[in-house]
Amino acid sequence: MNTHHLLIQFVTWFVLCYFILLNGGYLLLNLLSLRTLHRKGQEDMLDDLPRAYSGLEPPVSILVPAYNEEATIAASVRSMLQLTYSEYEVVVVNDGSKDGTLDVLKREFGLLPFPEAYRRQIPAKEIRAIYRSTRFQNLRVIDKFNGGKADSLNAGINAARYPLFCGVDADSVLQRDSLERVTQPFLRDPTVVATGGTIRIANGCEVSGGFLTRVGLPRNPWALFQVVEYLRAFLFGRLGWSAVNGMLIISGAFGVFRKDAVVSVGGYRPDTIGEDMELIVRLHRLLRERRQPYRIEFVPDPVCWTEAPEDFKTLKNQRIRWQRGLAESLNANWGLMFSKNGGVPGWLAFPFMLLFEWLGPLVEVGGYLFMIVSFLLGAISWQAFSTFMFVAIGLGILLSASGLLLEEMSFHIYPHGKQLLALGVVVLVENLGYRQLNTWWRLVGLFRWAMQKEATWGTMARKGSFADKP
Amino acid sequence: MPLPTLALAPGFGPPSDPILAAAFWTGIAALLLTLLLGLQIVRLRISLRARERRRARTLARWRPVLNAAIAGDSPQELPRLLASERLHFIKLWVHLQSSLRGEAGAALNAIACRLGLDAEARTMLGRRARTERLLAALMLGHLGDREAWPQLLRLTGLDDPTLSLTALWALVRIDPQAAAEYLTPLFVEREDWAMSHVAGILQQAGTPVAAVLAGMLPRLNPDRLPRALRIAEALWVELPAATLAAALANESIAVVTAALRIVNTPLLRDRVRALLAHADWQVRVQAAKALGRIGDRTDVERLVALLADREWWVRYRAAQALAELPWLKRADLDALRASLEDRYAADMLAQVVAEQDAANAKQETPAGTAMVDA
Repeated sequence: MNTHHLLIQFVTWFVLCYFILLNGGYLLLNLLSLRTLHRKGQEDMLDDLPRAYSGLEPPVSILVPAYNEEATIAASVRSMLQLTYSEYEVVVVNDGSKDGTLDVLKREFGLLPFPEAYRRQIPAKEIRAIYRSTRFQNLRVIDKFNGGKADSLNAGINAARYPLFCGVDADSVLQRDSLERVTQPFLRDPTVVATGGTIRIANGCEVSGGFLTRVGLPRNPWALFQVVEYLRAFLFGRLGWSAVNGMLIISGAFGVFRKDAVVSVGGYRPDTIGEDMELIVRLHRLLRERRQPYRIEFVPDPVCWTEAPEDFKTLKNQRIRWQRGLAESLNANWGLMFSKNGGVPGWLAFPFMLLFEWLGPLVEVGGYLFMIVSFLLGAISWQAFSTFMFVAIGLGILLSASGLLLEEMSFHIYPHGKQLLALGVVVLVENLGYRQLNTWWRLVGLFRWAMQKEATWGTMARKGSFADKP
Repeated sequence: MPLPTLALAPGFGPPSDPILAAAFWTGIAALLLTLLLGLQIVRLRISLRARERRRARTLARWRPVLNAAIAGDSPQELPRLLASERLHFIKLWVHLQSSLRGEAGAALNAIACRLGLDAEARTMLGRRARTERLLAALMLGHLGDREAWPQLLRLTGLDDPTLSLTALWALVRIDPQAAAEYLTPLFVEREDWAMSHVAGILQQAGTPVAAVLAGMLPRLNPDRLPRALRIAEALWVELPAATLAAALANESIAVVTAALRIVNTPLLRDRVRALLAHADWQVRVQAAKALGRIGDRTDVERLVALLADREWWVRYRAAQALAELPWLKRADLDALRASLEDRYAADMLAQVVAEQDAANAKQETPAGTAMVDA
């Protein structure tokens, strides 16, 4: 057997083993999620009972960074002012918008300049003015020079009055009881420093007065693929890691944090695209270095709905940004990996992310290309080639199906049989091109990260793909 | 791109190479598992539909009966409660009970007893199914069922915080006095019981818990004291000045801050004043707040000095305390601000005065903005 043949054999087995390990790892996470969802299901009826507040619920500052959001900001803020929670404030941070975001806020909420003694705990761009609503006592607006989303969140943290803060995207549609649900772990366990909830795709749904009133599936195929993708990512990706305190990301669209913990690690990093993930990885790293007991938890309830990209270009850019964010987050926190007190995050979650999410696109795209080219050149047999495709695609379908199963076991928010059938079809079809395309985009993201291109606010082509009735 | 089924085509069976064969069988296993998951998803959907139909039938049959009972028109003869309706009925019953008070609640209790659900609920408490145990505890609490006391007491010892807290709630409903005596030490010890939930449950047993708590405090370990004091705060318990004085002299910062939060008597004024210069800023914050409640005219100077504290929250609370003093009018505050040489102190007082103005102005929503970060 010559070297060339040995090399081909080695690469073939490596790629096969990689795919099996990757999907096997996710299946294990799936099993971890099952128990949490089962227990959660047993407590569902308690959610329906009338709720009484004792006054000891920790108050929350909702931070809403806004950049050029004049079209949607008023409706978003209005819906946030109607959340059911004992005590909270809404702090909108206008990040030097070039459009009429601030004017809309001034007009809609009767803002007046307020002489606030701004507290600078974390560095952030200079504040131009602080406004307070004359109509809603719990609404303030921070007007600052442009510095990006992370910088806006830092300014919001500086201005926040309450011990917990909740970072929310300005275009998020929140469940009315989202704060109640996502703050539960803080009530139960004083060591909890951060929690995140499930984000769902709002495309195809009906929204009225800033709240979701009817759940539907999008017609757009890109958005439909993302529905299944989000089920996979949240229902077992995050829930599984959360069960072993190894979750390395809380979505920037909706996450609650203990303010003193975030301030103690220096707040959000403004020089990264993936500021949400970077903060979580840094919290793990620094709190473990300090040997401080802590928990970062995931609440599986669907608490926040977001508009998914419906066109190729926007989706591609989003995925490239996400991959760059992932690379930046891991690169900035190497100290966590295999650290002395690293625990599950350092010894399991970080290496897993590194191997399967960070380097994953390289191995996956390389694997697909290698197999196709080798097969075309006759270097590997039809048997080896088809077995590779069979395993890679089969395991992918299995993972997507398990995401759908978890959804059906827990929330079954898509009530119609037709919707379930449609999702079943998507589970099959998304593995025949869409996931591979995603892997390619992630590889591009990795390349761009390596080239160190500058980070900016992500722009989203809004299609109004969920109907907001006034 | 070949579809997975191609691998099973005639003449294309498992490869002879052992590693390739292992990969092939992994794929087959994935395929079979996917099919099983698909079947399970369909099964779950069918059983969900069946459950929804049963629930709808139960509600259609029993809601009018329960509504009539709430309206004071309980039927002479009750329909038979089918086994398949039992859990849905109890859920409906608990839901209605949770929003009722007085006679209407008593009428629902009578219906449940006539259906034999008190005994049924006691049996359910002993079962392993967690949903049934939770429902049973809720039902027995509403029924005030004393026979269930020993079983519920056992449940409070479980590690499961949801189930143990629900059992605790039921015990407080059944006998607040006895629950306070038996369980107050447990409230203090069980860190996994959310303080807000415990406080919510104990509202009904405030007086007996206060008595037990006051007796316990002097003997409590310092690491348990902050939680005990927080419970006292939540229940508006007036603790004896001597007990609080001892807590204020404690070495633990957590104990001192928790005690300062509930100080409400001028008898402790001197002790609070002494804490204004404490090295820990959280103690200074709480001391400033306490002085806002119990301070006299001589404390204005002390609070003004705190306006220049290096910690934002201390300055803020000191400014609030000044603004709350009844003998300092708006003009006095303006004059005080004008006289301040420290810019941070003047800015903070300006903010608090503006907040006071905003609070006095007509509000569109009643949402409060009490600053409780520190």
